[in-house]
Amino acid sequence: MTSLRNGLGWLLWTLSALGFAYILGPLAVIVASSFGDTGYIAFPPEGFSLRWYQAALTDPRYVGGFFISLRLASTVALLSLVIGTLAAVALTRLDFPGRALLEALFLSPLILPTLVLAVALTLFFASTPLLPGGTPRLIAGHLLVGVPLVLRVMLPVLRRVDRSVEEAAQNLGASPIKAFLLVTLPALRPGLFAAAALAFIFSFDEVEMALFVGSAREAPLTVVLYGAAQMQFDPTVVAASSLLIMLAGLLMLLQQVFSRR
Amino acid sequence: MGDPPTTRHFARFLGDSYWLGVLVNSLSLGVCVTAVTLVFGFPLAFLLARSETRWAGLLLLLTTFPLWVSAVVRSFAWMVLFYRGGAISRLLQGSGLVEPDFALLGTFAAVVIAMAQVLLPIMVITLYAVIRGIDRDLEHAALGLGATPLATMWLVTLRLASGGIVAGSLLVFSLSVSAFATPSMVGGARAHFMAVTIYEQTLELLDWPFAAAIAALLLAISLVVALLYGWLVGAADRSTGRP
Repeated sequence: MTSLRNGLGWLLWTLSALGFAYILGPLAVIVASSFGDTGYIAFPPEGFSLRWYQAALTDPRYVGGFFISLRLASTVALLSLVIGTLAAVALTRLDFPGRALLEALFLSPLILPTLVLAVALTLFFASTPLLPGGTPRLIAGHLLVGVPLVLRVMLPVLRRVDRSVEEAAQNLGASPIKAFLLVTLPALRPGLFAAAALAFIFSFDEVEMALFVGSAREAPLTVVLYGAAQMQFDPTVVAASSLLIMLAGLLMLLQQVFSRR
Repeated sequence: MGDPPTTRHFARFLGDSYWLGVLVNSLSLGVCVTAVTLVFGFPLAFLLARSETRWAGLLLLLTTFPLWVSAVVRSFAWMVLFYRGGAISRLLQGSGLVEPDFALLGTFAAVVIAMAQVLLPIMVITLYAVIRGIDRDLEHAALGLGATPLATMWLVTLRLASGGIVAGSLLVFSLSVSAFATPSMVGGARAHFMAVTIYEQTLELLDWPFAAAIAALLLAISLVVALLYGWLVGAADRSTGRP
């Protein structure tokens, strides 16, 4: 049906090839033009130099922003993983009234636009002394999405786990907590890794909440880039973006290696 | 904050032709982006789902790769192509169809092109999952009974994938109406979209009640789409007998 001999096959192939180029082309453009030697952004790039990488890697805004983002995303991933996994254990193993409602409530931030959450948080934090301003509030905002992301991965994983092995461990004398830690937790590892990665990437890439509730003095990298793309628009922004694309490629490669095991 | 409840902020938004234009702009963006992602997303998802080579897995992985990269970076890539000296703007200038100092950056078309690229991977993975689930024997039967490939595609494949097409469309529509980074960066100062307006009203003009009213409208749109999604996906599951 999709052979190249008929017109439909040609149409499908052509649109797919265009679609594929459409998806990856812009990223390739950034990486290619980051190696240019001109003082302005040029594509196709002219000349070859690494000086814009040098400029990006010595600019305290980008380097500082990167480490702020790294700290932020690691904190959010770790806290989301702990809260989300514990909530998933409670939701799959305990039976209490309102359990289904609580699960729906826990997952509900995923259907809300991040921008709406960002406005809601701005208004909420303005009327409460809860949490010091800036990064702690941004972490709280990111947890609002990070925890449901972890929960969505861990709920089906926990529902699939064979409880009888854990019960066997308990029958052999292990305490319930020891049985969970030694038997069930190792079986959850691939799920835990995927869940933490999702929360990390969400927090690292997110810009709306960072603009609305984050502090300008501790701006994550996305906020720095958002500003620089509009105010500065020079090859340094391209090199910094290119580094982020390469980092994403590296992370995807690592994720493939880990999930193959 | 301590004032009595009022609907005047909604009235201000919905009663003014300028603000209504912003609403229409956002909804049109959603419709256009959905259309573009369907045109490129369906063929790509179809061929990936049907491919039996070992490259298919790698191609699917590459298709979803942009989801690992921040929307800020992906939108910036379009700024590089669309600004006055950018490759696509210069191509258009060279064609003589536009004025010599024309820039695609800041136009509605530019936002549609960029937004559709940002959301295309989501459309592809949604459709991919549905097309993988289609029983190919039904297509073979149609072809065996004398249907042309086009008729088979139209009557069998598209019909069976319709649930996924609707689900993917609602998802992409909802995400493009509420997206902020791409309309703001690619649309520039002339970007009259709800999401950008909410940002300006909250952080620049500090008119929080008005910003909250627009955000509530955006929330209402998202919830209506989410309910439609749940209802249609639920109906599709019931009709195929799946849980």
